[in-house]
Amino acid sequence: MSSLRSKTAKEMSDLLDEYEIKHGPVVDSTRSLYERKLKEAMAKGKKAKPSPDQTYYREEEEVTYEYRTPDRSDGAGDSGSYMRSRPAWSERELEHETSYSNYSRPKPEYGGKEFSDEPHMYDLPPTSKSPYLKSTPGPPKEAPKAPPSSRLVPLWVQFVFFVAVAVFLYLVFSSMETNEPIKGIE
Amino acid sequence: MSSTSQKHKDFVAEPMGEKPVNALAGIGEVLGKRLEDKGFDKAYVVLGQFLVLKKDEELFRDWLKDTCSANIKQQGDCFGCLKEWCDAFL
Repeated sequence: MSSLRSKTAKEMSDLLDEYEIKHGPVVDSTRSLYERKLKEAMAKGKKAKPSPDQTYYREEEEVTYEYRTPDRSDGAGDSGSYMRSRPAWSERELEHETSYSNYSRPKPEYGGKEFSDEPHMYDLPPTSKSPYLKSTPGPPKEAPKAPPSSRLVPLWVQFVFFVAVAVFLYLVFSSMETNEPIKGIE
Repeated sequence: MSSTSQKHKDFVAEPMGEKPVNALAGIGEVLGKRLEDKGFDKAYVVLGQFLVLKKDEELFRDWLKDTCSANIKQQGDCFGCLKEWCDAFL
Protein backbone atom coordinates (compact mmCIF):
# COMPACT_ATOMS: atom_id res chain seq x y z
CA MET A 1 0.00 0.00 0.00
CA SER A 2 1.56 3.26 -1.08
CA SER A 3 2.10 5.75 1.64
CA LEU A 4 -0.77 8.08 2.21
CA ARG A 5 1.66 10.87 2.89
CA SER A 6 2.82 10.91 -0.69
CA LYS A 7 -0.66 11.25 -2.13
CA THR A 8 -1.85 14.57 -3.45
CA ALA A 9 -4.83 16.28 -1.94
CA LYS A 10 -6.94 15.22 -4.90
CA GLU A 11 -5.90 11.58 -4.52
CA MET A 12 -6.70 11.70 -0.83
CA SER A 13 -10.06 13.19 -1.62
CA ASP A 14 -10.78 10.46 -4.15
CA LEU A 15 -9.74 7.77 -1.70
CA LEU A 16 -11.98 9.24 0.96
CA ASP A 17 -14.86 9.14 -1.48
CA GLU A 18 -14.13 5.53 -2.32
CA TYR A 19 -14.38 4.56 1.31
CA GLU A 20 -17.44 6.75 1.66
CA ILE A 21 -15.82 8.88 4.34
CA LYS A 22 -17.44 12.24 4.66
CA HIS A 23 -14.76 14.90 4.38
CA GLY A 24 -13.93 18.49 3.67
CA PRO A 25 -11.00 19.89 1.72
CA VAL A 26 -7.70 18.18 2.31
CA VAL A 27 -5.54 20.98 3.66
CA ASP A 28 -2.57 21.01 5.97
CA SER A 29 -4.61 21.08 9.11
CA THR A 30 -6.97 18.31 8.05
CA ARG A 31 -4.54 16.04 6.29
CA SER A 32 -3.38 14.03 9.26
CA LEU A 33 -6.96 13.46 10.33
CA TYR A 34 -7.90 12.09 6.91
CA GLU A 35 -4.78 9.98 6.72
CA ARG A 36 -5.72 8.36 9.99
CA LYS A 37 -9.29 7.79 8.83
CA LEU A 38 -8.14 6.21 5.60
CA LYS A 39 -5.73 3.98 7.45
CA GLU A 40 -8.49 2.79 9.73
CA ALA A 41 -10.83 2.22 6.84
CA MET A 42 -8.24 0.22 4.93
CA ALA A 43 -7.35 -1.83 7.98
CA LYS A 44 -10.98 -2.57 8.63
CA GLY A 45 -11.28 -3.72 5.04
CA LYS A 46 -14.28 -1.51 4.47
CA LYS A 47 -15.94 -1.76 1.12
CA ALA A 48 -14.11 0.39 -1.36
CA LYS A 49 -16.16 0.58 -4.50
CA PRO A 50 -13.98 1.58 -7.40
CA SER A 51 -16.17 -0.29 -9.88
CA PRO A 52 -19.71 -1.22 -9.02
CA ASP A 53 -19.88 -3.77 -11.83
CA GLN A 54 -17.89 -6.35 -9.99
CA THR A 55 -20.72 -7.64 -7.86
CA TYR A 56 -22.84 -8.18 -10.92
CA TYR A 57 -20.22 -10.27 -12.61
CA ARG A 58 -19.59 -12.25 -9.51
CA GLU A 59 -23.21 -13.28 -9.32
CA GLU A 60 -23.17 -14.30 -12.91
CA GLU A 61 -20.06 -16.33 -12.41
CA GLU A 62 -21.45 -18.19 -9.46
CA VAL A 63 -24.52 -18.87 -11.43
CA THR A 64 -22.79 -20.45 -14.37
CA TYR A 65 -21.00 -23.04 -12.31
CA GLU A 66 -24.15 -24.49 -10.93
CA TYR A 67 -25.63 -24.31 -14.33
CA ARG A 68 -22.92 -26.09 -16.21
CA THR A 69 -22.47 -29.32 -14.29
CA PRO A 70 -25.71 -30.85 -15.42
CA ASP A 71 -24.18 -31.12 -18.83
CA ARG A 72 -21.44 -33.18 -17.38
CA SER A 73 -23.12 -35.50 -15.00
CA ASP A 74 -26.48 -36.21 -16.55
CA GLY A 75 -27.83 -37.77 -19.67
CA ALA A 76 -28.45 -36.19 -22.99
CA GLY A 77 -31.99 -35.24 -22.14
CA ASP A 78 -31.11 -32.98 -19.30
CA SER A 79 -28.06 -31.55 -20.85
CA GLY A 80 -29.90 -30.97 -24.08
CA SER A 81 -32.62 -29.09 -22.34
CA TYR A 82 -30.18 -26.99 -20.43
CA MET A 83 -28.05 -26.25 -23.37
CA ARG A 84 -30.96 -25.22 -25.45
CA SER A 85 -32.39 -22.95 -22.85
CA ARG A 86 -29.10 -21.43 -21.90
CA PRO A 87 -28.81 -18.99 -24.80
CA ALA A 88 -32.17 -17.55 -23.88
CA TRP A 89 -30.94 -16.61 -20.44
CA SER A 90 -29.00 -13.44 -20.91
CA GLU A 91 -30.18 -11.60 -17.82
CA ARG A 92 -30.94 -12.80 -14.37
CA GLU A 93 -34.18 -10.84 -14.33
CA LEU A 94 -35.63 -13.17 -16.93
CA GLU A 95 -35.06 -16.19 -14.78
CA HIS A 96 -38.64 -16.90 -13.82
CA GLU A 97 -40.35 -16.27 -17.10
CA THR A 98 -37.78 -17.74 -19.42
CA SER A 99 -36.88 -20.65 -17.21
CA TYR A 100 -40.48 -21.74 -17.00
CA SER A 101 -40.86 -21.50 -20.71
CA ASN A 102 -37.54 -23.17 -21.27
CA TYR A 103 -38.40 -26.03 -19.08
CA SER A 104 -41.55 -26.48 -21.02
CA ARG A 105 -39.54 -26.94 -24.17
CA PRO A 106 -37.83 -30.20 -23.33
CA LYS A 107 -41.13 -31.77 -22.40
CA PRO A 108 -41.43 -33.85 -25.53
CA GLU A 109 -38.16 -35.49 -24.69
CA TYR A 110 -39.43 -37.11 -21.56
CA GLY A 111 -41.69 -40.11 -21.29
CA GLY A 112 -45.41 -39.90 -20.97
CA LYS A 113 -45.43 -40.18 -17.19
CA GLU A 114 -43.08 -37.39 -16.47
CA PHE A 115 -44.44 -35.28 -19.24
CA SER A 116 -47.55 -34.58 -17.26
CA ASP A 117 -45.62 -33.75 -14.17
CA GLU A 118 -43.26 -31.18 -15.59
CA PRO A 119 -45.63 -28.23 -15.84
CA HIS A 120 -46.95 -28.73 -12.31
CA MET A 121 -43.59 -28.99 -10.81
CA TYR A 122 -42.69 -25.66 -12.12
CA ASP A 123 -46.00 -24.02 -11.52
CA LEU A 124 -46.89 -25.16 -8.07
CA PRO A 125 -43.85 -24.94 -5.87
CA PRO A 126 -42.32 -21.76 -7.09
CA THR A 127 -40.83 -20.99 -3.74
CA SER A 128 -38.96 -24.23 -3.49
CA LYS A 129 -37.86 -24.17 -7.06
CA SER A 130 -36.99 -20.55 -7.45
CA PRO A 131 -33.75 -20.70 -5.48
CA TYR A 132 -32.70 -23.48 -7.77
CA LEU A 133 -33.89 -21.67 -10.86
CA LYS A 134 -32.26 -18.50 -9.78
CA SER A 135 -28.99 -20.28 -9.63
CA THR A 136 -29.22 -21.94 -12.99
CA PRO A 137 -29.42 -19.05 -15.48
CA GLY A 138 -26.13 -17.61 -16.44
CA PRO A 139 -24.19 -16.09 -19.31
CA PRO A 140 -24.10 -18.50 -22.21
CA LYS A 141 -20.57 -17.64 -23.08
CA GLU A 142 -19.04 -20.02 -20.52
CA ALA A 143 -17.83 -23.27 -22.00
CA PRO A 144 -19.27 -26.44 -20.45
CA LYS A 145 -15.94 -27.59 -19.12
CA ALA A 146 -14.87 -28.46 -15.61
CA PRO A 147 -16.24 -25.84 -13.28
CA PRO A 148 -14.76 -25.46 -9.82
CA SER A 149 -16.68 -27.31 -7.13
CA SER A 150 -17.63 -24.25 -5.11
CA ARG A 151 -21.29 -25.03 -4.54
CA LEU A 152 -22.94 -25.46 -1.19
CA VAL A 153 -25.19 -28.37 -2.18
CA PRO A 154 -23.68 -30.93 -4.54
CA LEU A 155 -25.37 -31.17 -7.90
CA TRP A 156 -26.31 -34.81 -7.56
CA VAL A 157 -28.17 -33.99 -4.38
CA GLN A 158 -30.08 -31.35 -6.27
CA PHE A 159 -31.07 -33.86 -8.90
CA VAL A 160 -32.08 -36.47 -6.38
CA PHE A 161 -34.23 -33.88 -4.71
CA PHE A 162 -35.66 -32.83 -8.02
CA VAL A 163 -36.60 -36.39 -8.95
CA ALA A 164 -37.98 -37.02 -5.50
CA VAL A 165 -40.24 -34.00 -5.74
CA ALA A 166 -41.34 -35.07 -9.20
CA VAL A 167 -42.21 -38.56 -8.01
CA PHE A 168 -43.98 -37.22 -4.98
CA LEU A 169 -46.09 -34.87 -7.01
CA TYR A 170 -46.95 -37.60 -9.44
CA LEU A 171 -48.13 -39.77 -6.58
CA VAL A 172 -50.22 -36.96 -5.20
CA PHE A 173 -51.88 -36.29 -8.47
CA SER A 174 -52.42 -39.89 -9.33
CA SER A 175 -54.08 -40.45 -5.99
CA MET A 176 -56.61 -37.73 -6.66
CA GLU A 177 -59.63 -39.45 -7.98
CA THR A 178 -60.81 -36.99 -10.53
CA ASN A 179 -61.67 -37.48 -14.13
CA GLU A 180 -58.89 -35.45 -15.56
CA PRO A 181 -56.12 -35.21 -13.02
CA ILE A 182 -53.56 -33.65 -15.24
CA LYS A 183 -55.04 -32.44 -18.44
CA GLY A 184 -56.91 -29.58 -16.86
CA ILE A 185 -53.64 -27.90 -16.00
CA GLU A 186 -51.58 -27.02 -19.02
CA MET B 1 -29.15 22.59 24.32
CA SER B 2 -30.13 20.78 27.43
CA SER B 3 -27.50 21.98 29.82
CA THR B 4 -24.97 24.45 28.52
CA SER B 5 -22.34 25.88 30.74
CA GLN B 6 -21.85 29.51 31.52
CA LYS B 7 -18.79 29.45 29.34
CA HIS B 8 -20.89 28.28 26.43
CA LYS B 9 -23.45 30.97 26.98
CA ASP B 10 -20.79 33.65 27.21
CA PHE B 11 -19.12 32.49 24.03
CA VAL B 12 -22.20 32.33 21.85
CA ALA B 13 -23.54 35.63 23.09
CA GLU B 14 -21.22 37.77 21.01
CA PRO B 15 -18.75 37.68 18.10
CA MET B 16 -15.60 35.92 19.25
CA GLY B 17 -13.16 38.55 18.03
CA GLU B 18 -9.73 37.85 19.45
CA LYS B 19 -10.82 35.58 22.27
CA PRO B 20 -8.25 32.96 23.22
CA VAL B 21 -8.81 29.33 22.48
CA ASN B 22 -9.63 28.45 26.05
CA ALA B 23 -12.67 30.70 25.85
CA LEU B 24 -14.29 27.87 23.95
CA ALA B 25 -16.59 25.62 25.93
CA GLY B 26 -14.93 22.32 26.68
CA ILE B 27 -11.45 23.76 26.25
CA GLY B 28 -9.75 24.35 29.54
CA GLU B 29 -6.22 25.17 30.45
CA VAL B 30 -4.66 21.86 29.50
CA LEU B 31 -6.43 21.42 26.18
CA GLY B 32 -5.96 25.08 25.42
CA LYS B 33 -2.23 24.74 25.85
CA ARG B 34 -2.12 21.72 23.59
CA LEU B 35 -4.05 23.53 20.91
CA GLU B 36 -1.83 26.57 21.14
CA ASP B 37 1.21 24.38 20.73
CA LYS B 38 -0.24 23.07 17.53
CA GLY B 39 -0.76 26.58 16.26
CA PHE B 40 -4.39 27.05 17.21
CA ASP B 41 -3.81 29.97 19.47
CA LYS B 42 -7.06 31.85 18.99
CA ALA B 43 -10.67 30.73 19.02
CA TYR B 44 -11.13 31.88 15.46
CA VAL B 45 -8.41 29.49 14.27
CA VAL B 46 -10.34 26.62 15.77
CA LEU B 47 -13.39 28.10 14.12
CA GLY B 48 -11.51 27.98 10.84
CA GLN B 49 -10.80 24.31 11.36
CA PHE B 50 -14.42 23.72 12.27
CA LEU B 51 -15.50 25.30 9.00
CA VAL B 52 -12.92 23.47 6.91
CA LEU B 53 -14.33 20.26 8.33
CA LYS B 54 -17.65 21.42 6.96
CA LYS B 55 -19.11 21.82 10.42
CA ASP B 56 -19.45 18.03 10.55
CA GLU B 57 -19.74 16.76 14.09
CA GLU B 58 -17.95 13.48 13.66
CA LEU B 59 -15.05 14.97 11.75
CA PHE B 60 -14.62 17.81 14.21
CA ARG B 61 -14.77 15.50 17.20
CA ASP B 62 -12.19 13.21 15.64
CA TRP B 63 -9.96 16.12 14.86
CA LEU B 64 -10.24 17.49 18.37
CA LYS B 65 -9.44 14.11 19.82
CA ASP B 66 -6.41 13.74 17.55
CA THR B 67 -5.12 17.23 18.15
CA CYS B 68 -5.50 17.74 21.87
CA SER B 69 -6.84 14.40 23.18
CA ALA B 70 -10.17 15.85 24.19
CA ASN B 71 -12.59 13.40 25.76
CA ILE B 72 -16.15 12.84 24.63
CA LYS B 73 -17.64 15.52 26.81
CA GLN B 74 -15.07 18.11 25.89
CA GLN B 75 -15.51 17.30 22.21
CA GLY B 76 -19.24 17.69 22.52
CA ASP B 77 -19.05 20.94 24.42
CA CYS B 78 -16.65 22.50 21.95
CA PHE B 79 -18.62 21.34 18.95
CA GLY B 80 -21.89 22.60 20.38
CA CYS B 81 -20.37 25.91 21.27
CA LEU B 82 -18.96 26.51 17.81
CA LYS B 83 -22.08 25.26 16.09
CA GLU B 84 -24.31 27.59 17.99
CA TRP B 85 -21.96 30.47 17.42
CA CYS B 86 -22.03 29.81 13.69
CA ASP B 87 -25.81 29.57 13.68
CA ALA B 88 -25.96 32.97 15.28
CA PHE B 89 -23.21 34.88 13.56
CA LEU B 90 -21.93 33.14 10.48
